Amino acid sequence: MTKVQNTQTEQKPSLVHPVIAMLVSIVVPGFGHVLARAWQRGILIIASFFTILGLTIWRINQDVIKIGQKVSKLGDIIDKILRLQPILLVTCIVAFILYLLIIFDAYQVAARKTKGATRVFLVLLVTFFLLGWQIGKIDLPLFAREFGKSKYRISQIFWPWEEAVSRAETEVAASQNIQIPCTDNPPSPNPITEDPWIRTTPTCGNLSQQDGAPGTTLSIEVGNFSPNTETEILWSDPLANEFRARQEGEYLILTTDDQGGLQFNIVIPYRLVPSSAEGPQIWKIKARQLSATGEIGPSEILMLAMSKMIETIFLGMMATFFGIILALPVSFFAAKNLMSGTWITLLIYYIVRTLLNIVRSVEPLIWAVIAVAIVGLGPFAGIISLTLHSVAALGKLYSEAIESIDHGPIEAVQATGANWLQTVVYAVVPQIVPPFVSFTIYRWDINVRMSTIIGLVGGGGIGYLLIQWIRLLDFKAAGIAVWFIILTVATLDNVSAEIRQRFV
Amino acid sequence: MLEVRNLTKIYNDGTVALHNVNFSVDDGEFLIVIGLSGSGKSTLLRCINRLIDPTEGEIMWDGIDLTKLKGTELRNVRRKIGMVFQHFNLVKRSSVLTNVLTGRLGYTTAWRSLFGKFSHEDRDRALGALERLGILDQAHKRADELSGGQQQRVGVARALMQEPRMILADEPVASLDPVLAHSLLNRLEWLNQEEKITIICSLHYLDLVQRYATRVIGLMNGEVVYQGSREDIRAMTDREFKNIYGEEAERVGGIQGEIGSNGGAK
Repeated sequence: MTKVQNTQTEQKPSLVHPVIAMLVSIVVPGFGHVLARAWQRGILIIASFFTILGLTIWRINQDVIKIGQKVSKLGDIIDKILRLQPILLVTCIVAFILYLLIIFDAYQVAARKTKGATRVFLVLLVTFFLLGWQIGKIDLPLFAREFGKSKYRISQIFWPWEEAVSRAETEVAASQNIQIPCTDNPPSPNPITEDPWIRTTPTCGNLSQQDGAPGTTLSIEVGNFSPNTETEILWSDPLANEFRARQEGEYLILTTDDQGGLQFNIVIPYRLVPSSAEGPQIWKIKARQLSATGEIGPSEILMLAMSKMIETIFLGMMATFFGIILALPVSFFAAKNLMSGTWITLLIYYIVRTLLNIVRSVEPLIWAVIAVAIVGLGPFAGIISLTLHSVAALGKLYSEAIESIDHGPIEAVQATGANWLQTVVYAVVPQIVPPFVSFTIYRWDINVRMSTIIGLVGGGGIGYLLIQWIRLLDFKAAGIAVWFIILTVATLDNVSAEIRQRFV
Repeated sequence: MLEVRNLTKIYNDGTVALHNVNFSVDDGEFLIVIGLSGSGKSTLLRCINRLIDPTEGEIMWDGIDLTKLKGTELRNVRRKIGMVFQHFNLVKRSSVLTNVLTGRLGYTTAWRSLFGKFSHEDRDRALGALERLGILDQAHKRADELSGGQQQRVGVARALMQEPRMILADEPVASLDPVLAHSLLNRLEWLNQEEKITIICSLHYLDLVQRYATRVIGLMNGEVVYQGSREDIRAMTDREFKNIYGEEAERVGGIQGEIGSNGGAK
């Protein structure tokens, strides 16, 4: 208690009367504190309050006024805020409470009743939190709602392994020519044979029209296919473009009876006929059974993911390798204890350090974008970007290891009559090898992890596939890539931890 | 016979660490240097084996001026001078045996030592030294796994590998507890008496000084302020000791009787 009183008596009195400080704060919140000689507090309050004011107006303008019909009346604006962004209204209310608190605080500080209450800063933080919530578009109900809907996609990522195997497919098919439009001389129906067959009556007709007039209805018979098997029906236009037949909007998939036969009717669909097409054209209708009865083997996706994963691991390895080779010499120039001899070496030290810091502060992904611009897409760009970043990071870590070596052992080895080389080998190297090994493995770890995503910007590796598959909404394939990444990173994490433990 | 004449050391920042120091040590003596922290004890010891280059003066050892030596000549003299440090100065991550073997570096050619190829003779010698100091079973552990007392014994073993004629001990017991301090000084005394190795040791505690020294010099602000023989020290009172040494001087404690049989903690 005595201490508090001491600081209060030492404090110079306010420049102005408390009431004036209060009135000033009504106009410029925080300026009353400045006049009351609470400089830091005052300036902080002024800066914060006007930042909050500016941000709130910006957000209201951005997310409320500019959206939909423009409004200018205050009542309409408030109504719109309530509908669109109620949190902004809360922010306004809290900001107003803050405003009142600042005025009250200015009076108290000027009257030297308090050294400054913390509640002003508490309310300040709450306001910033509310603004952050609004600017960050945080919407927890949305998350809860959508999470349930996305269960299927997520489950595809979690268990994508059906896509990892494939069987060779065998195709059983037969087709019948159909003339459009009919002439005197329509194609003859296919004969009934031992092989799978399809025949229609009639074997000619008209297309459906764009205005909805139906085309000719064909009665179709199919026989000698595999019994009780799903069968697709396809059309083939005169240019041999195949498209699946639909009935009532759905793809037509029928199941054969016990004898491997089918009987159904189908309307010839609408198809845009190029004006150059003259005279009757030959279409085909085709029945097809696909059965995955061949050998089980790894799917194309699996093979692709695997080969890219190997590329990824080696990408990380090569980047680490080049990183070590370049970082070793650099680190000696970045070690202050070695470079503080003359002003020239010290200058080199500062230049190298600054360069390392700049290179390190740019993310590898950005370096990869630059590298891709130079050498094009592919793993080489990834290696360049990761090497750059590794050199900067390892250079710093190595140089710090060099800086922290203990001078004692060097002195002791020198005292035994050892020469310079022996001193380095017996007193310096044993001290820097373990941290060097540790940092290097750590870096390798990081590089492999980074190389899994460097492909997002075209730097090679599995990230390239991952982003493609995600964009194609092929979540099972993406899931396989994710699994590979997780497995590799986890394995590497354990291996590197084990190695580091042995060395250090 | 080591003779230090007009030895002065001024560091680059202008600190005068030693000012016109003169004294001599006969072979086989146990010289203890006392003085406050910063009085120049460490600098003095390091000037003798030239870990620090003196600014002025001569250090004559058997007719050779150590301050003039360079390169191979300097290393050949250094290998005859063992050194023990307050903080042991072991390479912490290397094995005990490797640390001891570094004591032989002055005798090993550079390319052999580059690949860690020490002769069988050196290995046997190192193991022998560890055995004599009672830490043979620790030979293959990493140096930093040992206790303080054991680490200092590794330091002594390293010095012994040099087959030294002189050992410089820079506050060798300052990081050890009293029992270990006596144990270590006992070993140094044994080396001094049996192997006739000259010992120059800086110390803090009056009772240790009285117990082991055959001669004492006191340093204050880089100058020699006291020189005394064995008898002078025995007769010295705490008051006189504190006059040279400063008020913080103290005794280790009355355990002198037990140390002979105890032989230090394990």
